[in-house]
Amino acid sequence: MTESQVADARALRLDRLGHGGARDRLGFRQVVQILFRCVPLLREVQGRLVGLVLAWTLVGAVGLALLAGFLLILWEPILLGKPFSSLQASLLGLDAAQTAGVSELDAATRKQAAYQLLVRSAILTPFLMSGVMAVWYFQVWILQRVNQLLRLRLMDRLQALSLRYHAENRTGDAIYRVYQDSAMVTQLIDVLILTPLRCTGTYLTGIVFAFLVDPWLALLLAVAWPCTLVIGYWISQRLRVRFRAARETNSALTSRIQESLLGIKVIKAFGLERFEQARFEQDSRSAFAAAYLGRRLFAALGVSVFWIVSSLTLIGIWRATRLTVEGAPLFGFELAQNLDGGLEQFLVGAGLTTWVLGSYNIYKSMFGQGTGSIERLYRVWGRTQDIAIGIDRVFEVLDLEPDIRDAPNAIELPRFERAITFESVSFRYELERPVLEEIEFEAYPGTITVIVGPTGSGKSTLMALLLRLFDPDAGRISIDGRDLREFQIASVRERIAIALQENQLFGTTIRENIRYAVPEAPDSAVREAARIACADGFIESLSEGYDTMLGERGSKLSSGQRQRLSIARAVLKDTSILILDEPTAALDAETELSLLRNLADWGKERAIFLITHRLSTIQRADLILYLEGGRLRERGTHAELMASPDGAYRALVESESLTSEPLEAHKAAGENLS
Amino acid sequence: MTRPGIESSEISNRETLRIFGRALRYVAPFKRNFGWKILLTLASLSPFLVLPWPVKILIDNVIRGVPISGDQYPFYFFPEWVVSTLAQATPLTVLLWTLSAQFVLVLAVGAMGTSGRERDQTDAALGGGHDSATRTENQANSGWSLAGGLLGLYDFAFTLRLSQDINHHYRSRLFERIQELPMTAFDDEKIGDAVYRVMYDTPAITSAVYRLLITPIAVPISMVAIAFVLPREAADQYGLLFWTALALIPGTLLVTLPFAGWIRGESGESRRSGATATASVEEGISNILAVQSLGGEERERKRFDRDSWTAFRRYRALVLAGMVTFVAALTIAIPLLGYVFLHLVGLVIDGGLSPGDFTAVLAYFFTLASFATQLGSVWIISQDAAAGLRRVFFLMDLPAERDPPAARPLPRLRETLRVEDVSFSYLPGTPALQNLSFETSVGKITAVVGPAGAGKTTLLYMIPRFLSPDSGRVTIDGIDIAGVTRESLRKQVAFLFQENVLFDGSIEENIRMGNLNASMLELRRAAEIAGADEFVQLLPQKYQTQLGSAGAKLSVGQKQRISIARALVRDSRILILDEPTSALDPDTEHRLVAAIREASRSRIVLVIAHRLSTIRGADEILFLQDGRILERGTHAELIAQPDGRYRRYVSLQTRGAA
Repeated sequence: MTESQVADARALRLDRLGHGGARDRLGFRQVVQILFRCVPLLREVQGRLVGLVLAWTLVGAVGLALLAGFLLILWEPILLGKPFSSLQASLLGLDAAQTAGVSELDAATRKQAAYQLLVRSAILTPFLMSGVMAVWYFQVWILQRVNQLLRLRLMDRLQALSLRYHAENRTGDAIYRVYQDSAMVTQLIDVLILTPLRCTGTYLTGIVFAFLVDPWLALLLAVAWPCTLVIGYWISQRLRVRFRAARETNSALTSRIQESLLGIKVIKAFGLERFEQARFEQDSRSAFAAAYLGRRLFAALGVSVFWIVSSLTLIGIWRATRLTVEGAPLFGFELAQNLDGGLEQFLVGAGLTTWVLGSYNIYKSMFGQGTGSIERLYRVWGRTQDIAIGIDRVFEVLDLEPDIRDAPNAIELPRFERAITFESVSFRYELERPVLEEIEFEAYPGTITVIVGPTGSGKSTLMALLLRLFDPDAGRISIDGRDLREFQIASVRERIAIALQENQLFGTTIRENIRYAVPEAPDSAVREAARIACADGFIESLSEGYDTMLGERGSKLSSGQRQRLSIARAVLKDTSILILDEPTAALDAETELSLLRNLADWGKERAIFLITHRLSTIQRADLILYLEGGRLRERGTHAELMASPDGAYRALVESESLTSEPLEAHKAAGENLS
Repeated sequence: MTRPGIESSEISNRETLRIFGRALRYVAPFKRNFGWKILLTLASLSPFLVLPWPVKILIDNVIRGVPISGDQYPFYFFPEWVVSTLAQATPLTVLLWTLSAQFVLVLAVGAMGTSGRERDQTDAALGGGHDSATRTENQANSGWSLAGGLLGLYDFAFTLRLSQDINHHYRSRLFERIQELPMTAFDDEKIGDAVYRVMYDTPAITSAVYRLLITPIAVPISMVAIAFVLPREAADQYGLLFWTALALIPGTLLVTLPFAGWIRGESGESRRSGATATASVEEGISNILAVQSLGGEERERKRFDRDSWTAFRRYRALVLAGMVTFVAALTIAIPLLGYVFLHLVGLVIDGGLSPGDFTAVLAYFFTLASFATQLGSVWIISQDAAAGLRRVFFLMDLPAERDPPAARPLPRLRETLRVEDVSFSYLPGTPALQNLSFETSVGKITAVVGPAGAGKTTLLYMIPRFLSPDSGRVTIDGIDIAGVTRESLRKQVAFLFQENVLFDGSIEENIRMGNLNASMLELRRAAEIAGADEFVQLLPQKYQTQLGSAGAKLSVGQKQRISIARALVRDSRILILDEPTSALDPDTEHRLVAAIREASRSRIVLVIAHRLSTIRGADEILFLQDGRILERGTHAELIAQPDGRYRRYVSLQTRGAA
């Protein structure tokens, strides 16, 4: 460990793990509860799980039968020379008649039998192994299925959570939860069912056997497990704290990588490579330091459990050795003597009456199996802490109720016919800062409503409310007289199209990006939408046209081109309400002009909302809303607003026209276009 | 990085060897640690030499009461006085001493006997899932020891730390490399894919190097160590057992060799499809605003469902390939095991071996054989890692930005920036810039104007050398920038991009990224000019406000102002602004233009803009179309040309005003 890593690990321990006394919010009970919360997931594949158990049973039974047959033939006829049964002879392809009545087989026959046994096993083994693997493959498939279900639920929930959630949480965290945390569900069957059953079974059997040779030794084995509980309890709550830290730091590292790549241009342009590298290495070290502390403690759990059970084993050996030296009777034999019946005779016959070397070895092996199962149980229990933390992080998201939800009896939004009404709508992101206050206006089909105002005055948020990306805190928005909240969210977003200011595109083809919201749209519709958005020209000039793959976030295109694709995407939805958020900011004047003309033709029966700073665009509006500091300061048509001498809108227009004042050309151009 | 023709899933054996050789070079800084790890492995195996004795002493000298004597057993590990003391002791005393010795062994090396259950091994493998990505966590953090107890714990922690150090080193190198890739390289790349490579492909290095370096040393030693724990009855057979097991090494290697390519291919596919699924999540969440506002949830869900399940399916194919290879390896093991079996059975039948010893000898042989198989499968098992390593090396091998061999630092710009006859094309045959020339000097503002796709951004990318011209050159005070160091060049340039990329962190941190040494005063000054200070002051936590992922809490205009402040705080000689005012309201824009004017006194300013208010103040305007400069001059000069394109452009821009 280098010095900085030591310092790192120390800092991490102090910061995140407290001074040894920190507790995770999951206790023993919550861990168990979380595991059981996953059971309904298994229910989705329960039929296949039953099939899996049957398959394992079948393969296991066949394997056991073959092994038993193999061992029986190996020991009795081959190694000890006892005569074959007719079944054994026929299995080996030997003539039973030849050896019938012989009390001991001759060497040649025994060697011949060994050879035949070997050949048959050699042929059967690959088949049996293939069977085992087929079942294993089946199991992998089922567990993947369960994992897939959980991943999908997580994605669904992440997508349903409002933008407020996503503003607070990093993208890398979502990746980590969907990927790494949800995978822990595949361990469920093992930690919940298989291991506890197997280990408890072996442990109890060990105790019973130990009891039969000596009650004191049985007691020793029986207390072995409780003895480890203290250390198990002490360590496992610390494990949870550390495993959670490991998952959180790894998630932060994932976010760091994702964010650096997203901002790679800025990093390179500002020569921040070394700065970013240092941040990455810091995050990478923290992630490793957390994993180090967690895993080392987990290893220490294994070592200390081994110490405890081995010390008890040594005490057991002390007693067992002395009993054997003394030749004491076995406790089970003494018991059997007190009962009548064949048990006593059986034990005498089997030579199990006193402590001799044979019983000594049997005892050791049974005791060893008992302690071994304790160790295995802890190994799995330690791992379970991590699994529970992972699943807990999944439930953390699944338990978040999206703040925007369908009302219980929500209906589909019908095609809009009369009016969109904002009635004293107020909204705030955080408690301190109102974003919108008391907004009132109406918009009708066939009109263009333009929203203007300084940066940060709430223009985009106003439109986000119409899409129900947020719900207003006060007041109501209604469409044709019905409150927006009475409609299903999906139908609202289906019936309203928006071209976003940030032009978020996807890393697929241009065609797929345009029909993002209407996947089944025919090519002709895609082309028509591109034409209206004035995107057809540049698309067709690309060598692969509509099939051109866009890079990450459409980074191959200029922002003007991205903007037009985003408009085409909105137009293709063919909705009666269209929102364009700064549709022309990155366009040159010529393109803007034809775009607006196209939109005006296309939008005859529609309600169009425009957010813009461009005067040329604003003037076409039927209604202008001037927003400032979240309040609707002025509204009216261009002419109305210009009529008020001290109006904010008028001031805005004047400051803009100042720049174009020396031109006469614009008038001519304006005439051409009107 | 989903470029089929370039990164195929086919890897030859020869290339695999090369990949491993390259991986080993990355662990060269850790060779001392590997030496120590090998010594630790030897130490953890050494208890093998003493472990058989306590059991023997208990049975023979305590239970059976045979007195201890030096000639009966070669007690070569114990000094003479120990043997003679024990020889005179009562069985009970011997028992006590033996148990004490065992207790010490338990504490020190976690072992008291030879059988599996009496010996502890240390590891801390955690649960993984059933896909390639979720199994890498254990590879990156692989810690193990063949011993338990204190030695095991130390050995484990040492190994864990070593694995982590190697991984940290390796993924840091990859990350460093990614940042060196040219700016345009990432246009084609999926961010999710790169995340996958850094997080989930790099851990392949530990699984490869441990197998390649440790197994070939640890396995032979373990095989020899077995000889010491072999019961006396089997000692005569050891030679035969040993040599037969040894034959398994080349046997396993040869039989599995033909499957190596298949496993590599499946592993590559599994990783590739995993990366696609990661990209699905990444894009879906990153673009959540678009997804929600366009009602794309169902579509994203379907896409993720498909990509994620494909990744699972590809992983199953890898599992299947592994299974088939395993069954094939059995075909070589079975005849060898069979030969030993027949031989031992023959001995029993002929009376040379008791049936009881037969079991013991066979068990030891199986142990030997499994060691040998481990060594023989080193190659086949490392194939999965080979696929991961290749994906890492692929990214590392992409052409990076490199300074020319004799690059000198660029002196601080004094006077002029000249673009001389520059041509450039992204794809052969479709020129983006054609024979462009212009000149500007400190104190001047140059505006680049023209329709979308004219090559404006491409032209300005030439100046900080984000792109290099195919022909022609860019000079600063007469020095060709192709011959200067990247760092010294970019230090003098502040570039404001079209997209406003902000980072998770506070507003202050974001602005400071423009100049890490800026004082708070300078930060605020830049923010004031950019029009950011006024809204920042209204936030409850002011400059300490956390922005959330990619500045999600701010409006686009606010983000733009922060980006502008970031560019302004940079103490650079050349300021390049790519559409700085598109999302600003006119009022803020005016102030910004004034600020640019102010800044241009000591700087060269280049600006791409559509807004007349921004363009008008420029000292020279370049009108670009189809990669050529069609008109140039001041606003007044250009507007005076009756049929000028610029004039027409401007008239459209301001149509209807006033």
